[in-house]
Amino acid sequence: MALPAKVFTLSRNGQRMFGTSLRLSSTGKDIVSVPKGYVYVNNKELSMEMNEITDRAATTMFLGELFRGFAVTLAHIFKEPATINYPFEKGPLSPRFRGEHALRRYPSGEERCIACKLCEAICPAQAITIEAATRADGSRRTTRYDIDMTKCIYCGFCQEACPVDAIVEGPNFEFSTETHEELLYNKEKLLCNGDKWESEIASNLQADHLYR
Amino acid sequence: MFSISIMMFILIIITSVVMALASILSKKSLTDREKCSPFECGFDPKSSSRLPFSLRFFLITIIFLIFDVEIALILPMILIISISNIFMWTITSIVFIIILIIGLYHEWNQGMLNWSN
Amino acid sequence: MEFILSLVGSLILVICVLVSVAFLTLLERKVLGYIQIRKGPNKVGLMGIPQPFCDAIKLFTKEQTYPLLSNYISYYFSPIFSLFISLIAWLCIPLFIKLFSFNLGILFFLCCTSLGVYTVMIAGWSSNSNYALLGGLRAVAQTISYEVSMALILLSFVFLIGSYNILDFYYYQSYIWFLIFLFPISLVWFCICLAETNRTPFDFAEGESELVSGFNIEYSSGGFALIFMAEYASILFMSMLFSVIFLGCDLFSLMFYLKLTFISFVFIWVRGTLPRFRYDKLMYLAWKSFLPFSLNYLLFFIGFKLFIISYMWLINFSKVNSNFYFYLMFSKHMLIQAHWLVN
Repeated sequence: MALPAKVFTLSRNGQRMFGTSLRLSSTGKDIVSVPKGYVYVNNKELSMEMNEITDRAATTMFLGELFRGFAVTLAHIFKEPATINYPFEKGPLSPRFRGEHALRRYPSGEERCIACKLCEAICPAQAITIEAATRADGSRRTTRYDIDMTKCIYCGFCQEACPVDAIVEGPNFEFSTETHEELLYNKEKLLCNGDKWESEIASNLQADHLYR
Repeated sequence: MFSISIMMFILIIITSVVMALASILSKKSLTDREKCSPFECGFDPKSSSRLPFSLRFFLITIIFLIFDVEIALILPMILIISISNIFMWTITSIVFIIILIIGLYHEWNQGMLNWSN
Repeated sequence: MEFILSLVGSLILVICVLVSVAFLTLLERKVLGYIQIRKGPNKVGLMGIPQPFCDAIKLFTKEQTYPLLSNYISYYFSPIFSLFISLIAWLCIPLFIKLFSFNLGILFFLCCTSLGVYTVMIAGWSSNSNYALLGGLRAVAQTISYEVSMALILLSFVFLIGSYNILDFYYYQSYIWFLIFLFPISLVWFCICLAETNRTPFDFAEGESELVSGFNIEYSSGGFALIFMAEYASILFMSMLFSVIFLGCDLFSLMFYLKLTFISFVFIWVRGTLPRFRYDKLMYLAWKSFLPFSLNYLLFFIGFKLFIISYMWLINFSKVNSNFYFYLMFSKHMLIQAHWLVN
């Protein structure tokens, strides 16, 4: 039997010296009894084996943890930085990315929006304003479709609510302007966005259609 | 002989000029009342900030004063080592430093060094 | 003529210190960036190297505020004195080109660092803001606590080398660095340097997570820039002093400046690694750990000095020559000569 020198235990309570102290020498004993099926995650009682005591003493005296921390940061210096050279490189975007709004058209060139006003109703920030009228051919269309992009919270509810996939949030996030007025989008601007980003929007919708 | 004093004078002129330069270069704004009030988290400061003060800082300063005076007493010991009786020098310095150490342990024992109680 | 030369030399020294302060800020931003797996400033000029000068231009053309409740004269002048004091401390380094080498250089350094406390205190107090006052108080308590141990450790070295002249560190370290046979005290000294310069494990003066910016919160543009430069100049000075005391003090060689740079890098490395201490633990570290340590070391050094003296006395008495004795005599001779040359 390797005689465990229980220095700490001996010094703390000498009565264990002769009695049941051998039981305590097992490594990493839980402090409280743990029910079956549970894992004890708090600090374990420190082992009093001689070599473990020496290990701990050495770690403390030679500042082992401190120097290990320094080694970790030093190793990080030589890692490849995660920085990307932004305007020239861009990070990946999810197909579900909710960026700048766009109004889509059918392949025939007809605008999709039927002025059902569901998006206006659901918009939590009340950023959307729609006025509807009957067109000369008898179909119901919007005469006015405004989104205040400074009110919008980019929740994507308008996209969810739209029955015809007309209003979508495209992948574009670089639409900052210098004045507030430029961010008050009207129908013309939104349709223009739709024409501009149609291919990306279509592929994103295609990639995501199984989950909607 | 006076070159260090003159250098100090030159240095203080340089630093003042830099500060004055900054004041001149940045003279461009209207003074707004909110801008000139002391920084708080969005509200006007309620009371003068000079009233509340933890006594601990004061006590630390007192202890510092004691030790600094003692350091000032140790300082000449090195220089007088060559012109003094070495036996007396030894007795003086060692007794002095032992008194310092014992004084520190006494303060420790009395709880003077405890930051919070 | 000598007088003018020494003035010109120290002016060049000050300018070089200011430039190196600028590049130290760049080094800090770069190293912290790479530690956090990002790049740091790399857009301005070639790889971001002129960045500090752009920063300086930006800082000095920023708007200067006039805090209404402040005591404006002391508020305005404390950054000036702060930079002044941390620059004046550099004069005690005996660089070998027509600069000053004085017999009481270490005392001069101690005076300068002690004065540095007042500028922080006055800056914090005169801003008349809660955060600034708290930061100032903390900085003062911390700096003076660590100053006691710092002075005691310096005194133990002074006992060892027997004079207050910084040049003596060179003569006594020509065979072995003090770092090697006094390693524990060098670690303590480094901690004290960190605390004295209010660097990161001990940056309570500007604990930005609790005190927003600490004692310099009311400062903008020039005042802030001056405080900033003063802090970094004192960091550089402390790393200089570390290499003087522990790393050989060979002031004329290139290696010395590489060592200095390495120590400043370690300052930044520590900032990238360690989180902030707890304030009561900081005080306990100063008063209950470092102070007894340095006092006992001082006692040890006095005993050591007595040992050396008695040894020399024995040698003198028995008229036996030894290398050690010759070495000591030689160094004293050199010292006298150098001193004579300077004055």
